[in-house]
Amino acid sequence: MDSNKKYWKGLEELNKTPEFVEKNKHEFAEPIPIEEVLESGGLLGKTPRRDFLKALGFGVGAVTLAACEKVPVHKSIPYLIKPEEVTPGVANYYSSSYDGHAILVKTREGRPIKVEGNPNDLLSNGGLSAQAQASVLDLYDVSRVKNPIQDGADSDWDHIDAFIKNELTAIKAAGKKIRIVSSTINSPSTLAVIADFVAQYPTAKHINYDAVSYTGIIQANQNSFGKAVVPHYNFDKADVIVSFGADFLGTWISPTEFIGQYVKNRNNKSLQSKKMSRHIQFETGMSNTGSNADVRIPILLSEEGIALVNLYNAISGTTLAGSKKLDNAAAENAITLAGKELLAAKGKALVVAGSNDVAVQTLVNAINSLLGSYGTTIDLDNASNQYAGNDAEFVEFVSDMDKGDVGAVFFLGANPAYDYHSGDAIKAALKKVRLRVSFSDYTDETASLCNIIAPNHYYLESWGDANAIEGYYTVVQPTINPVYNTRQAEQSLLVWSDNAVKDYYTYVRNNWDKNLLAKGGLSGQKGWETLLQTGFVKAAAKPAGSYTFSHELTAVAQTILDHSNELAAANGDKTKVQLQIFQTIALRDGSRANNPWLQELPDPVSKVTWGNFAAMSPRYAKSLGLEQGDIITITANNYSIDLPVLIQPGQPAGTIAVAVGYGRTKAGLVGDKVGENAYPFHTFRNGTFQTTAVATIKATGEQSELAQTQTHHSYEGRNSIIRETTFTEYKKNPYAASGHFDEHKTYSLWDEYERPTYNWVMAIDLNACTGCGACVVACSAENNVPVVGKDEVRRRREMHWIRIDRYYSFNEKGSLITKESEINQLSDGDLDNVSVVYQPMLCQHCDHAPCETVCPVLATVHSSEGLNHMAYNRCIGTRYCANNCPYKVRRFNWFNYWNDSRFDNYLNNEHTQLVLNPDVVTRFRGVMEKCSMCIQRIQAGKLKAKMEKRSVKDGDIKVACQQTCPANAIVFGNVNDPNSEVAKALKSERTYYVLEELNVQPGIGYQVKVRNRTELEA
Amino acid sequence: MSSHSESIIREPLITGNNITYAKISNDILAPVERMPGKAWWIGFTVASMGATLWLFAVSYTFWYGVGAWGLNKTVGWAWDITGFVWWVGIGHAGTLISAILLLFRQKWRNSINRSAEAMTIFAVICAASYIVAHMGRPWMAVYSLPLPNQYGSLWVNFNSPLIWDVFAISTYFSVSLVFWYTGLLPDIALIRDRAEGLRRKIYSVMSFGWTGSVKTWQRFETVSLILAGISTPLVLSVHSIVSTDFATSLEPGWHTTIFPPYFVAGAIFSGFAMVQTLLLIARKVLGLENYITMFHIEAMNKIIILTGSIVMVAYCTEFFIAYYSNVEYEQYAFINRYFGPYWWASWSMFCCNCVIPQVLWFKAVRRSIKATWVLSIIINIGMWFERFVIIVTSLHRDYIPSSWAMFYPTWIDLSVFVGSIGVFFTLFLLFLRVLPSIAIAEVKLLLKGSSEQEKKKILEHGHVDSTQAEFYKDALRKFDSVEIAEYEKV
Repeated sequence: MDSNKKYWKGLEELNKTPEFVEKNKHEFAEPIPIEEVLESGGLLGKTPRRDFLKALGFGVGAVTLAACEKVPVHKSIPYLIKPEEVTPGVANYYSSSYDGHAILVKTREGRPIKVEGNPNDLLSNGGLSAQAQASVLDLYDVSRVKNPIQDGADSDWDHIDAFIKNELTAIKAAGKKIRIVSSTINSPSTLAVIADFVAQYPTAKHINYDAVSYTGIIQANQNSFGKAVVPHYNFDKADVIVSFGADFLGTWISPTEFIGQYVKNRNNKSLQSKKMSRHIQFETGMSNTGSNADVRIPILLSEEGIALVNLYNAISGTTLAGSKKLDNAAAENAITLAGKELLAAKGKALVVAGSNDVAVQTLVNAINSLLGSYGTTIDLDNASNQYAGNDAEFVEFVSDMDKGDVGAVFFLGANPAYDYHSGDAIKAALKKVRLRVSFSDYTDETASLCNIIAPNHYYLESWGDANAIEGYYTVVQPTINPVYNTRQAEQSLLVWSDNAVKDYYTYVRNNWDKNLLAKGGLSGQKGWETLLQTGFVKAAAKPAGSYTFSHELTAVAQTILDHSNELAAANGDKTKVQLQIFQTIALRDGSRANNPWLQELPDPVSKVTWGNFAAMSPRYAKSLGLEQGDIITITANNYSIDLPVLIQPGQPAGTIAVAVGYGRTKAGLVGDKVGENAYPFHTFRNGTFQTTAVATIKATGEQSELAQTQTHHSYEGRNSIIRETTFTEYKKNPYAASGHFDEHKTYSLWDEYERPTYNWVMAIDLNACTGCGACVVACSAENNVPVVGKDEVRRRREMHWIRIDRYYSFNEKGSLITKESEINQLSDGDLDNVSVVYQPMLCQHCDHAPCETVCPVLATVHSSEGLNHMAYNRCIGTRYCANNCPYKVRRFNWFNYWNDSRFDNYLNNEHTQLVLNPDVVTRFRGVMEKCSMCIQRIQAGKLKAKMEKRSVKDGDIKVACQQTCPANAIVFGNVNDPNSEVAKALKSERTYYVLEELNVQPGIGYQVKVRNRTELEA
Repeated sequence: MSSHSESIIREPLITGNNITYAKISNDILAPVERMPGKAWWIGFTVASMGATLWLFAVSYTFWYGVGAWGLNKTVGWAWDITGFVWWVGIGHAGTLISAILLLFRQKWRNSINRSAEAMTIFAVICAASYIVAHMGRPWMAVYSLPLPNQYGSLWVNFNSPLIWDVFAISTYFSVSLVFWYTGLLPDIALIRDRAEGLRRKIYSVMSFGWTGSVKTWQRFETVSLILAGISTPLVLSVHSIVSTDFATSLEPGWHTTIFPPYFVAGAIFSGFAMVQTLLLIARKVLGLENYITMFHIEAMNKIIILTGSIVMVAYCTEFFIAYYSNVEYEQYAFINRYFGPYWWASWSMFCCNCVIPQVLWFKAVRRSIKATWVLSIIINIGMWFERFVIIVTSLHRDYIPSSWAMFYPTWIDLSVFVGSIGVFFTLFLLFLRVLPSIAIAEVKLLLKGSSEQEKKKILEHGHVDSTQAEFYKDALRKFDSVEIAEYEKV
C-alpha cells in the first residue's frame, strides 16, 4: 500500500506562507555575504591570499638563487692570434740537453710537460734517468727565486748590474781575488763566457767544485798517464767486470749510459747468442750495482784496499810490500778467482773502484793496465767531461776566503754551504768576502749567505750547450719563456764583464758557428737549424790509445794499506763503526731535493722514500740490540746526526752506510728537513774528499718509521712470481726456468674477447732491468700520478702505477770449493750473502681480469685491444678490484692528493699544476686508478696513423716507462703483428707470465732472470 | 589450537601465577606507558653519545675521504667490511626466529621474535651504513642501482657479488621491516586503545586502522605466514650472498666454496648471541621474566652451541682443504692466518667462537644467566674477529710478497665501529620505549595452552600420569621465575 503521507518541515511549509515561498526560491535559505566579504575587510586582512603567494614566490625564488653558488670560473685566454707552431691539443717537441744527454722536451700549448730521451742520443739511446725525468717539475716549483735579490730583498736587474759592476771594478782595483765556483761545467759556450770574464777581471779564476767528486780518478790518471781526465768507460766491451764499490749502474759518473752498455751483454739478444758478461762486485753498502752483480762479495771498508792490493798481486804475480791476506776467507778466495777470470778475459776486462782516493785509483789504473783495458774498455782519449771537480783547488779557495784574499765570489750551480764537508767553515769564510753572488734559482744554503742572488734560468728556459764526452756536443734550447724574473747566468756574466756580445743567444750562436758546427759537418744558418732539430753534433772519435802503467806502486800501496788500518781501528769496538757515505739514485747529490717525484721515488735497494737512514746488517743490528727504525746518533769528524736504522742484508757487520743528498735546510717547501745531512762526514785526505770514516754510534732509544714502499723482502719461494736461473743452466736448456717447453692445455670458463686489430701487450726482461726507477718517475710525469708524502707512504699508500719489486734471496749452502765453481761457492754463508732480483710490476692487463668481474658498476672493463680500462667517472670506490688484483697494482685515491691543503708538497697550487699532462685527467678522491698502458699515447699514435692514412707501425707508440728505460728492459707493442718487437720478445724461451696458473691471462710476459754463475743458489 | 591443553611434559612458555590477558598487556606495555627509568636514561645517554661519535666519524670520513681510515694499497677493506658483515650476521637471528621458527610452529619464538626482529632491522641499518661509508664516492652510490639512464643504458655489473649484495641487503631490509611491522599492528592497536590524546592519534595512525575483527585476525595470520615464507629463503640467501663477496674472488683465504653455509651458520650463531645479550638485560630491567623464561634462554643456547660447532667444523675444513689443495698461496694464507703477524686475531677468533662456547654442553652453564650473558659477549667479539681475520689476514699477505702490508686502524676506524654500536643501541632503546618489546598478541596465544598456571591446573586436577608429572616438576627446577616450592604439595 502506497503511503500518501506527507512530511513537512514546519508550519511555514504546511501553511505555505509567502515568506516561505519567497525564501524557498533560492538555493540557500539565507544569502551568503559574498559582497560584504569582498567589499569590506576581507582582502585587507593581515595575510591576504595574494600577498601570501607573493611572499612564497619571492621566498622560494630567493632561496633558490641563494642556493645557486656561482660555478667557479677559470679564465682562459684563447689564442686570438695563434702562434704558427702551436696547435692546441698537439704537442711540440724541442731537442735540448740534460746533463749532456740529448733530450726531447714535450711542450703543450707552450709549456713543457715532459722530458724524453732523444732516441739518437749517443750516451743512452733515448734512455733517461729518474732525475732527468723529474727535472720538468722543477720548472714550476713555487720555491724558486722569482726576482733578483739584493741583501734579502727583491731588486731589479738594472740595479743589480750597476751594483755588481761597481763592486767588481773596486775589487779589481784592490787586486783582490775573484772566484767563480761552479759544479762541473762542460758547456763550451759557458766556459768561453767564463774565459771572457776572467780576461776582463784578471784576478778571477774558475773553480770546478763537485759535491760528489771524482778528483781521485782525474788525479790518478794525471799521475799514471799524464792525462788529468775522467776516462770514458766502455762496459759493453767488457766480458768480465770487477767493481770495488763503484755504483756504475746507479750513481757513478754516467750511470744512464753505463746501464745501456752493461745490459748489452746481458739482454735477450746477447743471451740468445749464448753470451753473457760476468760481473763481480766487492762492496760494503748494498748498491744498485752490487744488487745486479752476478757475484757480490760484501767486504768491510777497511778490506777494500787490501783486496785491491791482493787483486793486483794476483794479476801481476808479484807481491806489493805490506800486502797481507784478508781475514775474510771468502773474499780472499774471491779475489784470487776474480784475478784468474780477469786475466783470462784480458783485453775484455774492466776493473773500477768507487773510491775518490788517488792511491786507490792509481792502483786500479795499474790493474787495468795489466789487463790491457786501455784502448778497449777504458778510453782516455775520448774522455768524459762530466766531472772535472778539483777538491784541492776548492779547499785552497776556502782558505783564501778565510785569509780575506777573496773580494768576490760567484756560485754557479754550487752549494758548498750545504755540501762542503765543513759548511761552517764556508759560512765563516764567506763573511770575509765583499761581494757574494749566487746564480742559484733557489734561496739555498749558500745563496742565503750571499748579498746578491742573480737567479739563473732553468735549463728549460735557457740557451746553451754541453759536451759530456769528448767530441759529443749537445745543444740546450729554451722551451718556454722565462717563468719568473730570472736571467741566464752566462748573460749576467756577459753584462758584468762588459762583453762585446750583449746577448747570450748570440754568443752561443757565434760559438757554434765558429767552433762546433763544423765538427758535425754543419755550417751556417742551415747548419744551426739542423742542429736544433737533431740536438747534437758528434766529431769523429779519436782512436783510443793503449796506455801502460809504469810507476812504482810501493808508496801507493802503503797509502792504501795505511788507510785500511785506520778504518780497521773501528773493528772490535762496539761503539765504533766503519762509515760509508753514498748517494741514492733518487736524490744523488741533493741538488734536486725539492723535487717531490724524486723524494717519493723508492731507493732501488732499500725501497725507502723521503729521507735517509743508517744501513746496517741484520746480524750487526741484532748484536747492538737495534731494530729497523731505531734512531741512532752517528758521530764522526766532530759532527753528529740522528738517523733511523735500516736493516740491510748484504752489508757486512761493523759498517754502516749513510746517504748524502738529504738534510737540506733551504731547499724549498718539499726538500727542507727531509733526512739528515751526511756531507760533513766527508774528510779531505790525500788531496781529495773521501767517503769513508770511522764513526761512533749510540742508540737514542727513539724510533722513526722509515717510509718504505716494500716491507717484505723475499719472494717466499714463489717461483711463479720470480723465475731465475744460472747462465750455465740456461745454456743447457733455455726453457728450463720459464717452464714453457711443455705447453699444457688451458681451459677457460670465459668467452674469449675479440681483439681484431690490436692486442697491446708488453715484455719485460728481468735480466735487463737494473731497478733504477726511471720508469717510475716517467710514468708519474706522463700520467699525472700524485705524490702523497712521507706519512702516506708509511701508511702504504704510494700511488705509483709502476713499481719495482725488489726481492732478496740468501745463499746458504755447504761450502765445497772446487776450482771453476769455487767463486760461486764463496757466496755461501750467512745473511750477508744475498742475491737480488728486480721485477717491474704494473697492471698486467689480464685478458681474464679479476678486477673486471667484481666491479659492481662496470667502472673497469676490457677493451677490444686487450687493455683493461678504468672509467674514473663511473668508479664509486668500493676497492674490490684492488683486493681482487693478484698483482696488487691498483691504486686508490684515499684523499684529494692534488688539491688538498694537507698535501702541500705537490700540486696544491695553480702554478705547479701547469706540469700536468692535459691528455690525462687528474683523479678525484675516492676513485681507483692504475696503469693504462699510456692509453693517451696509444690513441695519439692511432690518430696520427689514421691522418697519414696508414696503419700503426711497430714502434710508433712507446709507453712512458718503455721510452725512458735505459736498459730497454720494457718492450710494448701489438702482439697481433708477428713481426713486432714485442711479439719477438715474447717468443723468447725465457718468457713466463707471473701467476700464470691463476689463468687470469696477464698481458705482460717476463723474461727469466739469468745469473752468470755455475749453478743456481738463490 | 591455542585453547587446547598441551602435554604436561612440555615445559611452560609463560611462567607465573594469575597471569591474565590484561596482566600480559600491562606487564609488556609497562615500559611503553610509563616514563623511562634511570637505567634507561643512563643507557640512552651512553648510546646516543656513541651515535654522535658515529655521526662525527662518518662525517669526517665523507669530508676528507676514506683515507681517514687505516686502509692501504694492499688492505682495501678492513674494519669497514668487518663491521658490515658482523652487523648483517647479527641481523640473522631475527629472521630465523620470525620466519623459520614460525613455519616450524615453534611457539617459544613468540616471546622473543619481536625484539629479535627489531634487532635485525637496526643491525641491517648499521650494516648498510657501512656499505655507503666505505665507498670512495658515496655520493655516487646510486650507480650501484640498476636504474635506467642516459648513458646508452649503462647497467650495473650483474657478475659482481657486490651487486648481488645490494639486492640481498635491500630485499632483506625491506622484507624484515614489513614482517616486523605487520606483527606489530595488533600490539600498536592495543597501545592505541589504552592511550589518550596525541599518543592515541599517533598510535592510531601507526596501527593502520586495526579493528581486531575476526577477518582482520585471519588476514593477519595469512600475511604473517606468507611473509614467513618469503623471509625463509632470505635467512639462507643473504649471508650466502655476503659470503660470495669473498668466495667469488681470487684471494687466497677468500676463494672457498664452503663460505655460504659457513657464513650462514656463523650469522645465526652471532645473531643468537646478540639476542641473548639484549634480552637477558631487557628481561631483567623490564621485568619480563615470566615471558622470556629459562626455557627460551636454554633453547637459544642450544642453537648457539649447534651453530658454533658448525662454524668450528668450517674452520677446520678450511684448514684441511688448504693443506689438501696443495696450492701454495692457499696454504700460506691459512698458516699465516694462525701463525703470521695476526695470530692473535685468529686465535681470539678460534677461542671465542669454538673453544669457549663448548662449555654450553653443560646444563648448568646453559641455564646460568650470567654465564650466558658473558658467553654472548664473547661470541660477539669472536664473530667480529672472524670477519676481521677473513678479511685482513687474507688481504695483507696474498700473492705478491712485495705488496705485503699490515693494517693499522686509525681513531676514525675505531670511532665508526664504536659509533655504530651506539647507533644500534640508541635505536634499540628507543624501540623499547615506544613499541612493545614482546609480541603481546602472540604471547597471549600461549596463555591458555602453554603457561605454567594452566599446567598447574592440570596437575591439580590430578589426571596426569605421575611419572610425567614428576618429569614436568623436575623440568621446572631450572626456571628462575617459578616458585618450585608451590609444587611440593601438588
